[in-house]
Amino acid sequence: MKTKKEAAPTPEVSSTRLDMDEPTVTRRRLADSRPTTAAGRLKESLYYMRGRGALEISIIYLLILIGFSITSLVNPSFPFLTHDNLSGVISQNVPVLAILAIGAGVLMIAGEFDLSIGASIGLSAIVFIRVANAQNWILALIAAIATAMAVHLINGCIVVFTRIPSFIATLGMSFFWTGASIKVNGLTPAVLYTFGHGTGVNIFAGNHGYFRSQLLWLIGIGVVAWFFLHRHRLGNKVYAVGGNAAAAKAVSIKPNVVKLQSFAILGFMVGIAAILIAVRTADMQPGTTGDYTLLAIAAAVVGGCSLTGGRGSIFGMIIGAALILTIENGLILGRAPGFYVQLFLGLCIVVAAIFNKFMEGKAT
Amino acid sequence: MTITTLEALLRLESVTKKYGPNTVLDDVSLAIGRGEVVGLLGDNGAGKSTLVKIMSGVVPMTSGAYYWQGAQLTHISRPETERRGVETIFQDSALVPSMSITRNIFAGRELTNRLGFLKLKKMDAITSEILDTVVHIEGIKSARQLVGSLSGGQAQAVAIARAVHFKRSLLILDEPTSALAVRATEALLGYLVALKAEGVTSVLVTHNLHPAYRVCDRHIVLNHGRMILDVYREDTSVEELTAAVVEGADGVRRYRQGKPFS
Repeated sequence: MKTKKEAAPTPEVSSTRLDMDEPTVTRRRLADSRPTTAAGRLKESLYYMRGRGALEISIIYLLILIGFSITSLVNPSFPFLTHDNLSGVISQNVPVLAILAIGAGVLMIAGEFDLSIGASIGLSAIVFIRVANAQNWILALIAAIATAMAVHLINGCIVVFTRIPSFIATLGMSFFWTGASIKVNGLTPAVLYTFGHGTGVNIFAGNHGYFRSQLLWLIGIGVVAWFFLHRHRLGNKVYAVGGNAAAAKAVSIKPNVVKLQSFAILGFMVGIAAILIAVRTADMQPGTTGDYTLLAIAAAVVGGCSLTGGRGSIFGMIIGAALILTIENGLILGRAPGFYVQLFLGLCIVVAAIFNKFMEGKAT
Repeated sequence: MTITTLEALLRLESVTKKYGPNTVLDDVSLAIGRGEVVGLLGDNGAGKSTLVKIMSGVVPMTSGAYYWQGAQLTHISRPETERRGVETIFQDSALVPSMSITRNIFAGRELTNRLGFLKLKKMDAITSEILDTVVHIEGIKSARQLVGSLSGGQAQAVAIARAVHFKRSLLILDEPTSALAVRATEALLGYLVALKAEGVTSVLVTHNLHPAYRVCDRHIVLNHGRMILDVYREDTSVEELTAAVVEGADGVRRYRQGKPFS
């Protein structure tokens, strides 16, 4: 029964072949349909940016900025454009949150998230301050980044190897790391006495008129992160693992390795953010940085990252952080009572997330 | 069996797979010859998917041996089978919907410079070229389109285009037609026939007999984890295969005695 005869193709088979050859005569080739003019290319690029997170939220942010600026010019009791406000709020707080959002966002694209960001900022900042006081500031920088990376790699190992959902694993670990920072330091604030005789302060929190050093750090980190996420094979793997782990596995991408790399990237970003915070405030009390966790994740979501993985962009994460803090700033400048600030902020985050979900469907 | 050990591209010998107390595959031996289109048939739960996973190297076998071009693979893993050119197109999960066609085609095998940065323009151009020449997919506007915005048939075609571009030697399609419309199914089977002419070997896994019957040179039927039929198209009929899939070995016996369906 298994002898192979000289198989003549059956009529059905050859007719299938005819069916598929037919349309090629008239159809337009993809290779020829690429736009040739600069305007055409720009139009195509904008078309394919639609629904991928950053474009729409950037337009909204631009509108808010224009609105705030006009209000500020017309009405002096809304001091948005003043020197102090731009330097003190926009370029001091936004970069820290944006750097955290980049870390949280890259991890979200890989399909996981980490709820111990706040706890690890505290631990890393305390390590930084104590090493800076006891040793020197170069060593302190290395120690702070190494601490944060170790914290998130340990979290990552727990999530990856036990397959516990990252929600519960990192929530539990956030208490552990807060406890660890109290164990290291006690409940009294760690105070930074000297830091590089002023040079260090200048590098990490220098005041340059309308902007501060933190903004330069954000630009540097943002550009490097953009190249690695959007133009490097590492980034491609992160998207593949978060978007469809089975498909990634089928092309020999190791999801566990990519996820651990993403946890390490988050750790690096948290370390930088912890240094920026510690140098600016010159002290750190354990257990006071918990808010950063959800703010960073909210910034990433507002910036177009999907909680289920596979979607998001560096530009979107930065805009997300800027949007949240600018709205908060506007509410405070507009003299909204304290509890209203939270009310509007929460509403904005939810509306932005719904808006992103809606725009996702428009992506082509 | 006309396929000798040497000719066989892939040969499995006495493969058994157990999940806890359940035996999913029981002593299955089969060979896939170079340039063949083989239909792997069976009802839901017959063990088709497990066999596919073993062939593509994502699931280890409990016992048995895996030969590639006559040489035994001792450490079977996905990177090992991928290096040899086994490409599995799992239904719905072959591609990443949130990535562009280009990035999907080159996922894991990106064209990069020495530092690992992507050559996106070059990859876009190659993608447009293969979409134009290898698989003639209608309705795709650009290589930059997200795979999530394609229809099921278009996405399958993209997955096949990828396998062809990277000169994969064995193409395993897991239920490729179950979510497709009639026209898309015809187009997909057409690709397989065209690829066969270029020497690509493929395994078509399906419980949908009629389209498979026309394009496959040989049919292998699984029933409750056992291989009950391994037969060339010329020696069988849709009716016999139906009996085998539905009723197992008994069905085949009854059919050959001229009493189809008890």
